[in-house]
Amino acid sequence: MIDQEVFISYLESKFQYICGVPCSYFKEMLNYLAEHESNIQLKHILATREDEVVGIASGVVLSGKQVLVYMQNSGLGNIGDALTSLAQLYKLPMLLLISYRGLESDRNFPEHSIMGEVNEPVLKAFRIPYWILTEDNWDTIMTRALQKMEEISSPVVLLVDKGVLG
Amino acid sequence: MKGFEVIKEMKNLINDNDIIVSSNGNISREVYHLLPKPQVYLRGSMGLPVSVGLGLALANPDKKIIVITGDGNFLMGLGSFVTTAFYKPKNLKILILDNSSYFTTGGQQTVSSAIDFSNFLESFKIGFTASEIASKENIRKDLTEFLSAETFSVLHLITEVGKENLENIPWHPEEISKKIIARII
Repeated sequence: MIDQEVFISYLESKFQYICGVPCSYFKEMLNYLAEHESNIQLKHILATREDEVVGIASGVVLSGKQVLVYMQNSGLGNIGDALTSLAQLYKLPMLLLISYRGLESDRNFPEHSIMGEVNEPVLKAFRIPYWILTEDNWDTIMTRALQKMEEISSPVVLLVDKGVLG
Repeated sequence: MKGFEVIKEMKNLINDNDIIVSSNGNISREVYHLLPKPQVYLRGSMGLPVSVGLGLALANPDKKIIVITGDGNFLMGLGSFVTTAFYKPKNLKILILDNSSYFTTGGQQTVSSAIDFSNFLESFKIGFTASEIASKENIRKDLTEFLSAETFSVLHLITEVGKENLENIPWHPEEISKKIIARII
């Protein structure tokens, strides 16, 4: 697992806000954020649904600020319109951490299996650049994703497998 | 009163430091043509004006953010309203223009009449809330109280259906973003 302290301080250097709906794959990261809330620069905004998260993030980006979004890939099924008719259409850069449920470690969780299979095709269909975040070289991968995000001024995705962030 | 007549009334009640987020369809078009420019005219993302307004309000505590939304749009993003009630940004104002219909798509009925807005809004304990029938006699007073409240405030107005024939918004969304970011930073 990526060291949470190192990871969060990297996020603090890149973003002012973090907003999302939880996934157990992000449990350690979210626990760390909650425990250290008072001395972390990132402002954490909670939300009820993933499309709402993209809406809140869009308001933050329209203010000239940077935001990290997190959600489970089930939420990818909820954000199609928020991406295509808002974040992508209005050219609002944001980095989305999306848990990659439905792979081998989820074989006893059939609720994730179909999204697990279509996750990457869905991102391709939405024309959203994505990378798979790994424990090794995670900072290089994030830097590459952020460069692309700036270049296209639009959302980009990092898919996060079990054990990488929690 | 019709929705666009309420929007026209806002012209003298807002200033350069205020930012309006308008919901897709007729309301965005009316805000574009009837109020000072630029504002955040949403063209799609039905259900999200309240959340876009929340993001703007949290990131700009020194600006008044006014969300103008129809009832269908508000209901589609009802969960996001609960989130705003959790954060209660005092610079956020939500105006719900409730004509009980999806007027942009042809006037189909919404389910908004199932809500007693007065009790519903009051249950959130968010500061200023009111639910009124929009009338020419009271509109100035209703809007002034709503916009000048020093707390997060929500005004629900029952309106009549009807619109002015206005041109489509000529700006591409990318242009809207550029103008808003330039206004803010």
